[in-house]
Amino acid sequence: MNFAGIDIGSTMTKVVICNEHEQIVTAIIGPTGAEHRHLALAVMDEALKKTGMVFDQLGFITATGYGRINVPFADKQITEITCHARGVRAVVPSVRIVIDIGGQDSKGIKLGLDGRVSNFVMNDKCAAGTGRFLEVIAETLGINLADMGDLSMQAQSAVQISNTCTVFAEHEVTSRLAEGAKIPEICAGLHEAIAGRVVNMVRTLGIEKDVVVTGGGAKNRGLVKAIEGKVGFPVLTPPEPLITGALGAALMGKDLVEKGAVPDHERRLEGVTFFK
Amino acid sequence: MTSITQMEDLYTQRGKRARELHAAGQKVVGYFCCFVPDEIIAAFDMIPYRIQGCMSEPIDRADAHIEPMACPFARSCFNMAIKGDYSFLDGFVVPHSCDTIERMYHIWRENTPAAFNHFLNVPHMMGPSSDAFYRKELEFFIKALEDWSGKTFDPAKLKDAIKLYNQRRARLRELYALRKPDPPLVSGAEITQLLVAGMGMPADEHIELIDGLIGEIMRRPQPKGPKQPRIFIWGNEIDDTAFIKLVEESGASVVMDDLCTGSRFFWDDVPETADPLDGIVSRYLHIHCPRSYKPAAETREDDLENRFGYIGEFVKTWHADGVIFYIIRYCDTCELEGPDLREYLNVKGLPVLMIEDDYSTSTIGQLRTRVQAFLEMIV
Repeated sequence: MNFAGIDIGSTMTKVVICNEHEQIVTAIIGPTGAEHRHLALAVMDEALKKTGMVFDQLGFITATGYGRINVPFADKQITEITCHARGVRAVVPSVRIVIDIGGQDSKGIKLGLDGRVSNFVMNDKCAAGTGRFLEVIAETLGINLADMGDLSMQAQSAVQISNTCTVFAEHEVTSRLAEGAKIPEICAGLHEAIAGRVVNMVRTLGIEKDVVVTGGGAKNRGLVKAIEGKVGFPVLTPPEPLITGALGAALMGKDLVEKGAVPDHERRLEGVTFFK
Repeated sequence: MTSITQMEDLYTQRGKRARELHAAGQKVVGYFCCFVPDEIIAAFDMIPYRIQGCMSEPIDRADAHIEPMACPFARSCFNMAIKGDYSFLDGFVVPHSCDTIERMYHIWRENTPAAFNHFLNVPHMMGPSSDAFYRKELEFFIKALEDWSGKTFDPAKLKDAIKLYNQRRARLRELYALRKPDPPLVSGAEITQLLVAGMGMPADEHIELIDGLIGEIMRRPQPKGPKQPRIFIWGNEIDDTAFIKLVEESGASVVMDDLCTGSRFFWDDVPETADPLDGIVSRYLHIHCPRSYKPAAETREDDLENRFGYIGEFVKTWHADGVIFYIIRYCDTCELEGPDLREYLNVKGLPVLMIEDDYSTSTIGQLRTRVQAFLEMIV
């Protein structure tokens, strides 16, 4: 039997299909647009095409992420907190703390010795400490978001960015540029600022080994290095840090089916009307 | 009209009953927080009115007078006052509960004064002098009411009012007992509606409403369903059902609270003492509001038990599976109390979710993921 997880994040939509041995059969990542429902269908369709599977071969579909209610064909909705924890645990069984840096929120999740979520913190009302913060500043600096990590690794020192508010930080970066600061130093400073904010938030959970960083933020080497600096020991990143939520959703579905859950409504890929 | 529809009506049309009474020539005295004794106002044949904010209306006019970093509940109340929503208040009484509420007295009196305005000083540190201090303040309050109304204070009427309000407390406790079964017989949203309705009507009418509601609850089919997490809510002002509904719609039952709009304001009776003021002092000054400080006990453990033992009893008796702290943003007193209370509850094996809210129904939805994740953690 196969299980699908679909994670509609604020920036990216992810689908993972895994089998009953918890192995990933396929994973797809696409950008989230304004029309969640349309996108959920498109990404799921693509994932199925890639595996040569048909929809009915999916034993259970679980939706997560902030767009989770917009997946009409899902059998269950579970929050991204629970799904991230489950997904990371499958990849790194020794995980105790997950730091997820997403497009528009960041969160810290603590796992108990039984592998379940024991506590969590979330910043979901402000862009500070999220991918959006870096995106806005990358634009100001005229560089690609994807290059920020590598650029910051070239820096000799980090420029101090004291504003955590994205709007104010943008002004601050502009004035640092005017003072002659170099782009790599500014990037390093931005990573320091985000890492400081996120790690302080996660500290309330009590930081323990192993710490795993996920989300788009985990793809930024400079940011991960800055987080390690704040945490005080090396952190781990999964091979594909964007899909742990979708993987977790798929695995939660598997867990539910093992406990006797069955899809309780008719599921079709079609039949969704879009607002145009 | 059933009691449930009457309750919904009074909840939706805030202050409707108080407005009617004001129009009929009765004096309505508005006040903030839990430290102004309803009984003293009622002993002068006036109607006590607990001032509420409005979570569904944006705060626009108040910003010209108070900085936006002040408590949004207080700002919302004042915003309503500027717009004339509180023009039916004949009196305005403010206790020194917290610093924001204390300042509200001055700002409100300056901009939208009532016919009678009074500030009630309430000690923060509980110690040998605090009872005498608060008693003296209540005597000043009584004197001010005498001067304004032209009536002489009658201790016998205060004794009657104490009896009446104790009856209301007993009825509310009876209603809260219906939350002990699993699933509870009454929802948290219904309880909130009933409490808000009672903030603006005479106690005898509220008693009638509670009795009617209890009767209707007992007659309706008992709720059934799968086991859901039972949630205890701690915090400050919840005078709108939005948040409680969010929690209950996410698949939990709100079964008990320690809120200043909930059990905190009504739980303990006023002892019926020979001098009625003695009973009032011992009851009102010892309300469990985080703005009051108790002298620290010798060990940390004793200290936490001393401060939060009553919450320990509540969560045990109402079989709570988890606790949500609902704190209106910038409430220093709750935010400073939170970590100690969290420690106390975690030791008892109870998970805690702390929510800091903007006191606005338009931002409530953003809390959904947090609440749902918390419930998934408990199940």
